[in-house]
Amino acid sequence: MVETKKNDFRTRDLFYLVPLWVLSLIAPDPYIYHKKEFKKKDLLYLGAIGLAPLIWSDPHFHHLMVLAGIYAILALGLSLFTGYAGQISLGHAAFFGIGAYTTAILTARHGFSPFVALWTSALSASVVAYLIGRPILKLKGYFLALATLGFGEIFLVMVRESTDLTGGVIGIFGIPWFSVIGFSFDSYLKQYYLTWGVLTGLFIFSKNLVRSKVGRALLAVAASEDAASSVGINVPRVKLEIFVLGAAFAGLAGSLFACVMSTANPEAFSLGFTVLIVMMVILGGMGNIYGPIAGAILLTWLMDFLSRYQEYSLPVYSVILILLLIFFPDGIGTRLNVRVIYLIGYWAKKKKRDEGKL
Amino acid sequence: MSHLSIEEITKEYDGIRALDRVSLKVEKGSIKGLIGPNGAGKSTLFHLISGVEKPDSGKIRFKERDITAMASHEISALGMGRTFQTLQIWGNMTVVENIMAGMNRRLKGSLLSYGLWLPRVRTSEKEALKEAKEILNSLGLLGSWESMASQLPYGKQKLLELGRALAMKPEFLLLDEPASGLTLKEIEQLSERISQIRQEGVTVFIVEHHMGMVMEIADEIAVLHNGELIAEGTPEGIRGNPQVIEAYLRGKRADA
Repeated sequence: MVETKKNDFRTRDLFYLVPLWVLSLIAPDPYIYHKKEFKKKDLLYLGAIGLAPLIWSDPHFHHLMVLAGIYAILALGLSLFTGYAGQISLGHAAFFGIGAYTTAILTARHGFSPFVALWTSALSASVVAYLIGRPILKLKGYFLALATLGFGEIFLVMVRESTDLTGGVIGIFGIPWFSVIGFSFDSYLKQYYLTWGVLTGLFIFSKNLVRSKVGRALLAVAASEDAASSVGINVPRVKLEIFVLGAAFAGLAGSLFACVMSTANPEAFSLGFTVLIVMMVILGGMGNIYGPIAGAILLTWLMDFLSRYQEYSLPVYSVILILLLIFFPDGIGTRLNVRVIYLIGYWAKKKKRDEGKL
Repeated sequence: MSHLSIEEITKEYDGIRALDRVSLKVEKGSIKGLIGPNGAGKSTLFHLISGVEKPDSGKIRFKERDITAMASHEISALGMGRTFQTLQIWGNMTVVENIMAGMNRRLKGSLLSYGLWLPRVRTSEKEALKEAKEILNSLGLLGSWESMASQLPYGKQKLLELGRALAMKPEFLLLDEPASGLTLKEIEQLSERISQIRQEGVTVFIVEHHMGMVMEIADEIAVLHNGELIAEGTPEGIRGNPQVIEAYLRGKRADA
């Protein structure tokens, strides 16, 4: 695509185009998200995920990608609820926290294996989500946002104050590495494969949901609840199911997080963290199942990259977020293909214009 | 035996009576028209029947069951489909997905079985796609089955909404002003389509402003005026009814 038209370009233009073109191949495009079947491109993604840590064998990169994977699991669950069903949740960090504390208490205090704790975490998060969701999901729009926000804050206060159970502000230390039948995930590389393996499984699960009856029900609820119930879709139930599922994802992510960081403390589940996850979903593209993963990788990497600039990191971070939201309001993959073609056309014409041919 | 019967329905909004002790019956397999000037309470009546809103008093029976207190999706599950006065298609889905979402009630399987993509689910999805394409074909929308529903022109979106209601295989269809905004040719096609739906055994209850169309297809017509039922009968009877003529003329004069 680029090579054939090389003559029309200055070398400098290639410098802009090539990364954009490569990005357009990789980045998920929300404008074609309605073609929901699995494609060959998915194998490409899978291969890239499998090979990346081997090619780039730097422990810091591995650790970063482990975190990105965990955030992606969390964002994936939220994406189903926010991006597809169109509901707002600002309390998602609380389910993450419930997962992390369940694992922390079970493994560090009572000596259960992390494998058991992983499933218990998902279960406990979804049970809480069910109990909270039943009354709360009757609310709509801003009111739902406020209610979930309140839930998140209440959870935080409870964690800080119930010192006996959660260790208060200090938290719980000494959570063992994740292990299954004697195999311990004790290096960042192993943890990378663990988190991205779990993420891949959950991604396939979510994608199956999205391309089937369940996904259509979610989109229907988001677009028009009246129309959805007019064809017999049980709107409250659809919302509750996906809320509980999202919480289960968050519980799994929290459990993995506790095992990776070997600690659980309330700082990790604050409002700032919820906003970060919501940003991942929005930047990745609402209603785009690849979006949360792309958003999670981008933001994790960005935060790490900027952290070396100390006091400037936050302002720069927010400026970058604002710019991304302005230029890619539907997610970072938005119509990159179209943009590349537009740029090619623009530069080709400019060259001719300069030569006086047009 | 009547398919739908409304008994002494009353609905008030902030002290204004939108419907005042309205009683109606719709016979099985018939096409019933509901007409009346703007603000007569037609759409309110439809909202009450489909369960979007609840009446202050009175009863609604559908297939001999009291549906007055039922939730909207439960009523639909009994076999009542509807379209909306203000278009309510799902613009965030493709055309074919809109139809398939309409079949939602008939597709069995839990969230888990869909997530794990069990063989049973796989076949049912495939069949649903096939059936959805057939429905689109019969509506003449198959050409744009993969485009987003929001990108269709208005007339086709109206058809799509009808198709979605048909996809749930209803026994009873509520059509709220299906002809509004359509061209004459489209209206002709629509009336043909509605007669065809009736021949397939579906009862149709239709609110319409386009008099020519209602007079042509309806077996029986009811007239609402200021929340009261002022006349009911065959199209010929309604055409000559002095009360109806006066209600409409007064409405016209007020408009001008």
